[in-house]
Amino acid sequence: MKILIADDSRVMRQIVTRTLRQAGFGDHDLVEAADGQQAVDMAVAEKPDLVISDWNMPEMTGIEVLRKLRAAGNNVKFGFVTSECTAEMQQAAEAAGSAFFIVKPFTAERFDEVFSPILG
Amino acid sequence: MSEPVVTESDLAEMAGQVWVSYLDPEGVSPLVQNGEVKQLTEVHSTVSITGSWHGHLVYACSVQAATKAAAAFLAMEPDEVSQEDISDVLGELANIVGGNVKAMLPTGCFLSLPTVVLAPDTASYYPAAERISGLYGTWAGEPVSISMWQSVKQEASA
Repeated sequence: MKILIADDSRVMRQIVTRTLRQAGFGDHDLVEAADGQQAVDMAVAEKPDLVISDWNMPEMTGIEVLRKLRAAGNNVKFGFVTSECTAEMQQAAEAAGSAFFIVKPFTAERFDEVFSPILG
Repeated sequence: MSEPVVTESDLAEMAGQVWVSYLDPEGVSPLVQNGEVKQLTEVHSTVSITGSWHGHLVYACSVQAATKAAAAFLAMEPDEVSQEDISDVLGELANIVGGNVKAMLPTGCFLSLPTVVLAPDTASYYPAAERISGLYGTWAGEPVSISMWQSVKQEASA
């Protein structure tokens, strides 16, 4: 499967990648986007099976990315990995069609719990 | 004065999660609190919060602690860490703690992207804001602090 990791922080993209590996998902094809607009563009061009997105990014926030994709008829499995974790954000994410909401800091166990049903 | 919206123990809990997840997963080198408000730091990062609550979250530490954090985050040796790595990791630390802090504030808050200053935290001045809480300690003997600053104007009207 192809996974798109969207986060403006290079460090966090690296940590997400490492944690995916630690959780046993290192064999998947990983691609990265460094802001919201790039995430939309790559979600269209790369046709990933899963998008793991930050919330607070330049150009476009993660929720805007999700809404834009859904409005264009793109139903890629999409969820958030973010340090921001208010109830209103989680509700907005769910309403927009988000499949998961992981709060930073996270562990490999949390990744395993969330991604096992998705990635197998 | 009433208790701040985010207390020292709240910050300690958030820091504890960051240490367990990224900085000290083996549990051998925790952040040791010392309450030294005036300890000297060399670098810092800030995220600002606006909306229903106005203020800043500041993460400050020594260059050595920042280098050690970058090495832990990026899974590299401390002598391989670049200045860019340090900046990115400092920004991420403020972002993670700031995001967690946001969850404790009234609804309708916005978190800025982080800013990083490779100079002591005293180099940044937050006009019309005062420190409402802070966590001060050492990590492997190196100074680390996380402090919350709130707009004085807002605090007065609260």
